[in-house]
Formats: sequence, C-alpha cells, structure tokens
Amino acid sequence: MVIRIAAVGDVHLDEDVVGRFRPALEELPDCADALLLAGDLTRHGTEAEARCVAQEFGGLGVPVVTVLGNHDHQCDQVPQVVKVLEDAGITVLEGTGVVLECAGGRLGIAGVKGFGGGFAGRCASDFGEPEMKAFVRTTTDSSDALAAALRSLDCDVLVALTHYSPVPDTLAGEPLEIYPFLGCYQLGQAIDSAPTALALHGHAHHGTERGTTPGGVRVRNVAHPVIKQAYSVFHLGDHLEPGEVSRIAASGTR
Amino acid sequence: MTEHRDVATGPPDEYVEAEIHRLLTEDPAVAEQGITVARKERGLVLSGEVESPHRREEILRRVAERFPDVRITSDIGVIRAQAPTEIEQLP
Repeated sequence: MVIRIAAVGDVHLDEDVVGRFRPALEELPDCADALLLAGDLTRHGTEAEARCVAQEFGGLGVPVVTVLGNHDHQCDQVPQVVKVLEDAGITVLEGTGVVLECAGGRLGIAGVKGFGGGFAGRCASDFGEPEMKAFVRTTTDSSDALAAALRSLDCDVLVALTHYSPVPDTLAGEPLEIYPFLGCYQLGQAIDSAPTALALHGHAHHGTERGTTPGGVRVRNVAHPVIKQAYSVFHLGDHLEPGEVSRIAASGTR
Repeated sequence: MTEHRDVATGPPDEYVEAEIHRLLTEDPAVAEQGITVARKERGLVLSGEVESPHRREEILRRVAERFPDVRITSDIGVIRAQAPTEIEQLP
C-alpha cells in the first residue's frame, strides 16, 4: 500500500498571491492523501495574511497539516495566526503530532518550526553570554520536542515536518556562512531517534531538494523557490522494486 | 594618519550591499530573505525569486528609493506555481 504526500513550504502568502496556487491545489484529492506545509505560510505573520492562507489552502478535500516558519512569527501574532488556520481546518503542529487514516495506512506527522544553530562540528554551543545560551537552548528545546512528538505516534509511516533544516545536504547552494541560521543538527538527531520514513523542511530558498540524515532518513527541502511548482508529491511504501525506483529517478523525477 | 574616504564617493560597496540585503528583509514592504545582492563591475545585481510580479517591482522601487545613486540591475523571477507533472517514489 502507498501513502501519497504532497508538500510545499515558504509560500509567503499575502493578498497579491491569493489564487496563484489554487488551480494546482484543486487537483490534490486525485493525487495525494494529505498536504504538508513546511512553514513561512505568510510574509509577516499577520492575522490578515493568515486569512489569505486559509482562503488558498482551506477546503481542499485532503487534510492539510502545517508548521509555522520564522516569517509567521514576525508580527508576534502567532495565536491569532494559528486560530485562523485551525478555523479553516488546517492542523498546526508545534512539538505535537497527528495521525491521519489514509487508504494506504496510518500516516503519522510530527512537527516543529525548529531553529538554527548549525551542524556537527560547526555549531553554536550552550556557553558564554546569556543571549548565546538562550539561542542554543531554543534549538535544543525545539529538537527535543520534535523527538518526543515523533516517538509518541502510533502509525505505519512516520514523517517529520519542520521549517528549519535538519541536515546541511539540502542547504547546498546557500552561502556556507549562513548555514547556522538555516538549521541545526539536533533536528536530524531527533528525526533519527524515531523510525522516521521522511523528513520535510523549507526555509532554504537557494538550497537543493535531496538529502539524508546521518541515520539514513531521507530529507527533502520543499521550499517553493526550490521545487518551483505548487507542491511536490511523494509516494511512500514498500511496493516498489529497486529497479523501478532507479528507472523513475533516471527519467528525471526529483 | 588615518586617511578618510571622500564622503562624495559614498560608502564602500560592501556596506551598500549589506544595507540592501538588510533592507530587503527588514523593510515591511519587502520582507524577502531569498534575494541575493551581488557586486558586479557595472553595479549591483539583485537575483532570486519571489511570489508575485508586484513583489519584484516593490523590491526595485524600495532599493532605488533608498539608494538613488547606486546602479541596480534586477534578475528576479516569479516562482512558477503549476501542479507537478512527476512524483517521487520512496520505497
């Protein structure tokens, strides 16, 4: 059996974008069991922009599950943004998870926004000034929350959803100097602490699509500027022969 | 003795580049983190992708307003939003 996941991040909605995604989104019931949004739904995180998100991504005929991104925090209206999204039937995760009953099995999704911090050997440490310690503790708290949420779900296929990246692989194309602002290795560690099948993130507009955690979990950067389409679709399951996979990959599937 | 740069020549390009980069993120009318500012021989080139033509125009308007003496070239695109034609199978 197959579970079909559509995903996109960094759509940065405001009034000027409403309607651009909708024609493609209307096709979702035919091609996906759920749509996952990897944060940065809005430009500034206002309630008005959240209503644009609700209009564009609400009532799609498939469950929509999201995390917030850094842009969604800009105007300090997170509770209002979350309420508008939830009123539109969109599930907002932050250190929490949800299990969806799909035709192909139970899809578990655990999500956090995540945070920066950097990657193994080149990361910030919980040491020194209070500001630095607060920064790194935000990183570890977020990652710990993701690990707990992932391990709490009883499902057939487990997916981790974040805004910040859990690996450097999918940041290739971004300047090395800003990697610590784009993700952290602790998110990868959290993903590897559970039987995660796929990790999805956004945030890195100049990054690349594919990566793998040190533990072997596949990671996909679904930021809209990276995938350059309304959403990507992933089929998860044990139904494919390796030959079929390579044939599809060779044909240019990303 | 420290030699000071002639103020008439304006700030060094690197500071202008940094200021534009911050403006693109911090100006509420722009709020873009995905635009690259590159120094080229004939001025600064802005590149990257945004979600609408309106945003692209707004970026150029705000940068020109703030740095009227800097020659700016735009290579900013609008991201396509069509349905995918292929899927990725993950066994």
